Amino acid sequence: MTFGTLYTGSLVRLAARINPEFAEALARWTHDAEYMRLIGGDPARMISAAQVEAQIQKEKNKESSFEFALRTIDGDKLIGEGGLSVKWNHQHTWLGIGIGEPEYRNRGYGTDAVKLLTSYAFRELGMHRVQLGVFGNNPRAMRAYEKAGFTREVVHRGAIHRDGQRYDDIMMSILRPEWDAMQEREGSHSQQDTTRG
Amino acid sequence: MSSYHIGDLYTGKLVRLGAVKAEEKDALSRWSHDAEYMRMMNFNVAYPQPPSFYEEKMKEDHSPNSFYFGVRTLADDKLIGNTGLWCDFTHGDAWFWIGIGEADSRGKGYGYDATELMLGYAFRELNLYRVTLGVFGYNERARRTYEKAGFVHEGTQREVLYREGKRWDLQDMGLLRSEWEARREQAHVVEPERMLSP
Repeated sequence: MTFGTLYTGSLVRLAARINPEFAEALARWTHDAEYMRLIGGDPARMISAAQVEAQIQKEKNKESSFEFALRTIDGDKLIGEGGLSVKWNHQHTWLGIGIGEPEYRNRGYGTDAVKLLTSYAFRELGMHRVQLGVFGNNPRAMRAYEKAGFTREVVHRGAIHRDGQRYDDIMMSILRPEWDAMQEREGSHSQQDTTRG
Repeated sequence: MSSYHIGDLYTGKLVRLGAVKAEEKDALSRWSHDAEYMRMMNFNVAYPQPPSFYEEKMKEDHSPNSFYFGVRTLADDKLIGNTGLWCDFTHGDAWFWIGIGEADSRGKGYGYDATELMLGYAFRELNLYRVTLGVFGYNERARRTYEKAGFVHEGTQREVLYREGKRWDLQDMGLLRSEWEARREQAHVVEPERMLSP
């Protein structure tokens, strides 16, 4: 049997978070309020590289959490972060992703990374469903998720409050049969094999 | 719509909200041995817990974003369930949950009464913009209760649950402050004078 590559897409690859490089980059990204407001609902707040390292040390639920650095294939540059948070008994996982380096946004890197993480969830973790949250003021991310095969399914009306405006908190998902059908349409991942089992 | 009167923050028509006392850890442990109940409550694997587990939890539960109450009958002050709000104050949103642990107290309107109390608490005391909840696809009774309390269906998490060899949906529901206020107006709910005067 052959295995398609799990970690390498067309623009980015999933890699380990290696410190101090990763901690320093992430600390820098937390100083970008726009980034912080796109990746989550918590108040934007800056943290130091030392704090990032301490947080990674303290990470709980290691057996249900899969966290990666995103690196460009061309140039091996660290540009973002991505991860999965698994509920094993229900075979579903949350997917989270952020492109920390602004000049790499809106150029297909995010979509490529979402596809890799989704593929990892279905092929490596045996998931039935991958789900994610996206805010109504982030149409760029929504387009990326749609391109990766995700369907919008829940809208929490006005659940995000930013600069005096209310935006929706949206949930999207892709189910295993939908992903399988998409692989079929787009050509199997095994075409880009680089490793053999 | 039937009129609903919220007398004070904690007292409804059938139940009141109160603290869960340490000695009631035995009741919480007993409920955790009811797998059907636990499967209504969350995604976790049903797993019975000893009273000491809940004793520890009560000590830990001091998050400023978490509001946790026992549900007690007005008739005999019996602890029949519990309920909570997990608040995101940045956005004025909260996750609401409730469970009637005593099996013989289900289907009698206690859950609905407690839900109305919690909505009153969320909007009158916590000043939230909205309240959010999730209800499992196999829990029709709970869904009817939430609809009766004014919650609006906001979407369906498809096949997010895997139980007894089947995939089940989860319904997301939400209630905005403006909807709650309109509903109260329609029901002619008037606060007693003593609540309004300083």
